Amino acid sequence: MKYSIYKYLLRPGTLLVSSLLILGVSSCKKELVRINKNPNAVEDPTADYLLSGAEKSAADAYWGATANFGSSQLITQQWALIQYTDPDRYIFDGSSFSDFWTTLYTSSLTNIKVMMQLGEEAENNNYVGVGHVLRAWNFQLLTDAFGNIPYKQSGNVEQSSLAAYDSQQEIYEGLLSELDTALLQLDPGGAAIEGDLIYGGDISNWRRFAHSLQLRIALRIADAAPALAKSTVQKVLDSKELISANDQAAQFIYDKSPNWNPVANNFSTRNDYRISKTVVDRLYALDDPRLPIYANLPENKNIKKYVGVPNGLTTSDANSLGLANTSKPGSYFSADNAPAVIQAYSEVLFLRAEAAARGFSAENAAALYQQAITASFNQYGITDEAVIAAYLNQPSVKYNASNYKKSIGDQKWIALFGEGLEAFAEWRRLDYPDLEPAVAGKYGDKMPVRFIYPSTEQTLNRKAYRAAVAAQGTDDLFTKLWFDKN
Amino acid sequence: MTFSSFENVVIICYSIYSYNKNNPLFSSIFIANTSIQIIQIYIKMKHRYLLSLLLWLSITSVLHAQTPAVKGTVHTENGTPLSGVSIRVLGGKATLSSNLGNFTIAASPGDTLSFTYIGYEATQAVVSDQSQPLDITLHQAATELSEVVVTALGISKEKKSLGYAVQELKSEQLNTTQTPNLVNNLSGKIAGVRVTNSQGDMGSSRIVIRGETSIAGNNQPLFVLDGVPIDNSQLGAGGSRDYSNALADLNSEDIESMSVLKGPNAAALYGSRAAHGVIIIKTKLGKKRKGLGIYFNSNNTFSSLLSLPEYQNVFGQGGNGEFSYVDGNGGGLNDNVDESWGPRMEGQLIPQFGSNGEAVPFVPHPDNVKSFFRTGFTTSNSISVADAGDKYSYRLGFNDGHQTGVIPNSKLNRRNISFNSQFKITDKLNLTAMANYLISDAPNLPGVGGKRASSTMLQFTWFGRQVDMQSLKDSYFSTGSPDNWNNAYYPNPYFGAYENTVELRRDRLIGAIGLTYDIAPGLTAHFQSGTDYYNDRRKLKIAYGTSGTPFGSYEEVGYTINENNTEGTLNFDKHLNSDFSLNILAGGNIRSKTYEENDQKAPRLAIGGVYTLDNSRDPLISTNVYSRLKVYSLYGSAQLGYKNYAFLNVTARNDWSSTLPANNLSYFYPSVNGTVVFTDLFHLKSNVLSYGKIRGGWAEVGADTDPYQLYDTYGFTLFGSNPLLTTSGIKMNKKIKSETTTSTELGLDLGFFNSRATLDISLYNTNSFNQILKVDITPTSGYTQELLNAGKINNKGLEVALGVTPIKQPDFNWNFSVNFALNKSEVKYLDDAGELENYTLGSDGTAQVVAAVGKTYGTIIGTAYQRDAKGNILISSNGLPETDPTLQDLGHFTPDWNGGFYNNLKYKNWGLSFLIDASIGGSIYSGSNSTGQYTGVLASTLPGRGAEFGGLNYYYPGNDKKNLPVAASGSGPNGEKVYDDGIIAPGVTASGDANQQIIPASLYYKTISSVDEQYVYDASYVKFRELRLSYQLPGAWLSRMGIQGASVALVGRNLFFIYKKAPNIDPETAFSTGNAQGLEDLTLPTSRSYGINLSVQF
Repeated sequence: MKYSIYKYLLRPGTLLVSSLLILGVSSCKKELVRINKNPNAVEDPTADYLLSGAEKSAADAYWGATANFGSSQLITQQWALIQYTDPDRYIFDGSSFSDFWTTLYTSSLTNIKVMMQLGEEAENNNYVGVGHVLRAWNFQLLTDAFGNIPYKQSGNVEQSSLAAYDSQQEIYEGLLSELDTALLQLDPGGAAIEGDLIYGGDISNWRRFAHSLQLRIALRIADAAPALAKSTVQKVLDSKELISANDQAAQFIYDKSPNWNPVANNFSTRNDYRISKTVVDRLYALDDPRLPIYANLPENKNIKKYVGVPNGLTTSDANSLGLANTSKPGSYFSADNAPAVIQAYSEVLFLRAEAAARGFSAENAAALYQQAITASFNQYGITDEAVIAAYLNQPSVKYNASNYKKSIGDQKWIALFGEGLEAFAEWRRLDYPDLEPAVAGKYGDKMPVRFIYPSTEQTLNRKAYRAAVAAQGTDDLFTKLWFDKN
Repeated sequence: MTFSSFENVVIICYSIYSYNKNNPLFSSIFIANTSIQIIQIYIKMKHRYLLSLLLWLSITSVLHAQTPAVKGTVHTENGTPLSGVSIRVLGGKATLSSNLGNFTIAASPGDTLSFTYIGYEATQAVVSDQSQPLDITLHQAATELSEVVVTALGISKEKKSLGYAVQELKSEQLNTTQTPNLVNNLSGKIAGVRVTNSQGDMGSSRIVIRGETSIAGNNQPLFVLDGVPIDNSQLGAGGSRDYSNALADLNSEDIESMSVLKGPNAAALYGSRAAHGVIIIKTKLGKKRKGLGIYFNSNNTFSSLLSLPEYQNVFGQGGNGEFSYVDGNGGGLNDNVDESWGPRMEGQLIPQFGSNGEAVPFVPHPDNVKSFFRTGFTTSNSISVADAGDKYSYRLGFNDGHQTGVIPNSKLNRRNISFNSQFKITDKLNLTAMANYLISDAPNLPGVGGKRASSTMLQFTWFGRQVDMQSLKDSYFSTGSPDNWNNAYYPNPYFGAYENTVELRRDRLIGAIGLTYDIAPGLTAHFQSGTDYYNDRRKLKIAYGTSGTPFGSYEEVGYTINENNTEGTLNFDKHLNSDFSLNILAGGNIRSKTYEENDQKAPRLAIGGVYTLDNSRDPLISTNVYSRLKVYSLYGSAQLGYKNYAFLNVTARNDWSSTLPANNLSYFYPSVNGTVVFTDLFHLKSNVLSYGKIRGGWAEVGADTDPYQLYDTYGFTLFGSNPLLTTSGIKMNKKIKSETTTSTELGLDLGFFNSRATLDISLYNTNSFNQILKVDITPTSGYTQELLNAGKINNKGLEVALGVTPIKQPDFNWNFSVNFALNKSEVKYLDDAGELENYTLGSDGTAQVVAAVGKTYGTIIGTAYQRDAKGNILISSNGLPETDPTLQDLGHFTPDWNGGFYNNLKYKNWGLSFLIDASIGGSIYSGSNSTGQYTGVLASTLPGRGAEFGGLNYYYPGNDKKNLPVAASGSGPNGEKVYDDGIIAPGVTASGDANQQIIPASLYYKTISSVDEQYVYDASYVKFRELRLSYQLPGAWLSRMGIQGASVALVGRNLFFIYKKAPNIDPETAFSTGNAQGLEDLTLPTSRSYGINLSVQF
């Protein structure tokens, strides 16, 4: 019975074994570290794929239900709901807009941030420039909708997971200068970029888009900061680098399922949306050739005309109009590969017309207004000059210099069909078209003029949120934003 | 002595070479792929006092082993070796028996040896011939207090020597009634254990011991089957099926006992996963047979719904009181409306589903939902053969179970083969081998959740109360078409149940081999290697023509989970002198785990009815995840006993985990506890107080995290031919450190009236900190979540277990037990900066369950009524209640206390046992109640819906609904239409006056349905959980047929609610086994079961 630990310890070679074991511990550690290398996802991304990812994420957020056809397109009475009409009655809450907010701030802007870092490391300034343009567009969408938002401190998790809100004025000013920075970086003769799903890597077009976006922002603030608006307009027009043809428009063209247009995706399984009665009535009144593109005939073959649904009916009242007896939005918009239009040529022309009307430029407002409508027709393949001329010559279409806001507001609203967020911003700013509030709106005759912050901001970014609300006003649908005078 | 520097005290260094890379199922059945290379102990000469002293004692005592010696073995009547039996030469030396029951003691012929072992009757033997080994059988003692329980690492110890609470359930108590999920068998039986049945009759169940100690991570205990840690994940939670947790596969008939170690104090030796407690399952082993050793058990039960919402049967489908069916898709009048705000059901003639356009009587079908469900049937038949001899014991069991659920076409089959054996290779070497092969095979699982294609409760919560279920059944079975009462949103419910199916097949092997070697008297080496391997494959089908998924879809999901554990321990037992005994254990473990998931989906089928991945009109959506982790551990424990009534226990463990960063991957944690049997110490034993023990201890355990939490990742998708990379949205953390849980426990065990009554009381205080949390952060930071190493949660609790045997007669025996547990948690903080207030555990709409700083874990927050200073609900000028823009605290899901009352009566051959199970306090948010009020199907929407329900008369001035309704008496002033469904919402206007504005009932109910406060209910319940009435057939009868014993029993489970407050739902319900408890939405009704159990022993 002499087997014992003691004997074990005294055995020759024990020391050798012990020292081998100590070595073993360190190789053990290496083994453990190696095991924890993630085989499932990329830890070292590349700029091109990040660019594609950012563009797709932003387009989805921009064109999807949350911010577009489930809210801003309803408020601006482009579309209407025939089932589950709550959003059409302005019943929104702190969760209504969070997808839009979250997707832009994380999937889009974080992708852009990392892409720009990689672009800088690779000394490819065009990635950096495109990054700035996309950032400017993303933040413009956010501030247009919410007002004060985190801009300067956003995307800064390494320093803090909290971010202070900036005033809308500071944001627009920042975006204008960020676009200047972008233009310093963007060089058509510089290094090529890959993975660009918007312009296929065409840097000249990115420069045009950057200028056009500056023009959009300039007019957005035209009532609130006219001096800056004017100087920006002049700078932009001097550049001669603006979107100046439909094929230069900024747009994200979708593919087939699962990368299909968010409208196609929604319509493939749901039957909630109809075209708004407001649009149908206006287009009928103007005999507008875009009506058959904007709307489909009802499924009930006995009905030979387009039938819009009034906005903001109760669910039962909307339902009783009959799903088959009312017009869906046009198939053009629900096609798998329909584009998400970011900035159309017609919009740039409307902006130039308005700049001229405001005296920010010496261009001919009336002519640009007509060109804008023509560009919109062309955008939808309506090129028959006689048709266009007949349309333009109607008294109700003709440019009214004494009330340019009405002429431009009414026609721009028609041209922006589908672009709910831009239509929402311009309707608030121009105060045209004149829209009747939802029939059974939750708030009586009040109409929304902004989105509500995601309620998670109340818990996750409390101090900054409270400061923003204190500065801007109650966090509801009816607090007017800085740019929205009158 | 600071424990943080324990690494400087003793480094027990070892290296075990283990791998099992491409786990071949079959080659690893008895896991021959692992071996101990070296076990080595190395002592650093610094601060070594306690452990080196103990080691020295052990070494010297081995060296001084004396001759001449008498050898022998001690075992039970069944032949199971008994370790730790105290063997003493009268008036001389003493020793303890080894793990194999062997002993060697210096004794001369004529000496008398005494054998004492707690729980067994003391025995004496006289040495006659030294060369002849002694064979000693100990008989179980009658008293219950001198219990032996299974503790950490499967080591049996006298309960009296433990400084913490352990409760054990024997097979009989575990199996009062059988359930499809083993976890359910624990419900109400052990103080501090909380079991929640997720939903339906085939779903998952959650088990939590002593409250939630992890803010974000898994809170369920570790399960260890015969020394093999086994997986209890719920894979694919939150989808269209409530997949059962993996433990449900085990067959309760194979289980000898389940021992519950309630938290760090008891389980510290298990390391990382012990913070939430450990449940040690011992499977049955062969016993010395009487007869053939064949045992047969057959359990057959029916099941039916325990609870179903209370529906209204006055108003039918439609809106604004109008309805007429054409195509169920908007073609008729409100026939796409899937709500019951339609006309009264008074027999008037209206075209309806199945009437082919003909107007037929519009009448209620009160049982339409109920009639969709059927009576379920479960049959489970087990047969086992077992035997034991001098050199071996074995048990081979087979079980075959089939369950048809209460939901049409739901079906689950389970089969398993279990084998457990022990072989005495030599006197010193013992081999154990265990294998359990389990098959779970479900042709279709019940549809849950809110998916339109497959949910069971979705379309019944949005329903037309006039719908005749029989017409839907006839329609589906005659045409096979999805045509439905509503075609805008759902397929026919039978189509959904029979066509949109999910198939599951899980093959699982749990196996282990163990070797035990008696190196020297009192010194035993033990080695065990075990595996838990399973493959879980699912096929998810949605048929062509399904509303919402018109092209159907097909998805295959496969999981492969494997965990291997290999451990080696050295155990040393010694009576130091007549007063002191010592037990030392040192060991090491290698744990490796792999997780693999492979998911392929054809999102839209090209051709209906063919379920292959090729049959797709879109590119396949594929995801695959492979993850792997490895943990090396070294641990040790020591127990010092004094006079068999005072004991001191210490443990220590160090882990090295692959999931942590290189510089933080090692973490150490100790525990200490002690106990004194004060009735022995102070000789207090009396007729009243027969036993008294006080115990206490402190423990710490560390925990690692999931693999791959260090670096940010970007996910791939393909856009056309262009790959996209998108940030995961989660900011990872390359500096994370291990989590820590510390726990203090105090307890008192008392026995009265010769142990006819026992009382165990435990108090504990557990703090978990440095929690690894993926916290939600504001998206404006660029990420939606960030991995933090912060957060602290405290749990305090009290547990009381009372056992009483009021009657103990040869013919009549009655005992009962009561257990009670109270746990109070508080989330102390979430992040170091103190910025975070809430950590979201789950949500349903705006209702969320959170860990909120300063509050109880699982606080429910959501929208609430806007109230004035006096607490009155504010009503706006349009007559509708206003909602507070700030989310409010509405309760918490964790109960105030829970407990059980278990009774067992035996009269001659008759036995009756039953269990009443209670959970009191806590809240639940019910989405089903909210939706059911929105849609008008619930009886709770009747008040105000008509004159007979107290509805007020009103009209719209000018018949214009844009105007506010005005109260009417008789008729409108200008002949306006008068309605009789007016409600005045209780509350006050802005000026503080009582609200006077009348509004239609439908508008009121639809409006309040979005106020979460309205649907948060008291989740308390008392359930009559188990009932068993058995009869043991008389032996004389049977023996002629060669039958050793037979019994027949009537069994029932979840028979009825004795008490509950939440309307329309079973408050014991949840979406899954995760931490998102306290939320209910469209969950399946739970079921009761009743039937007969038959067992025969040959």
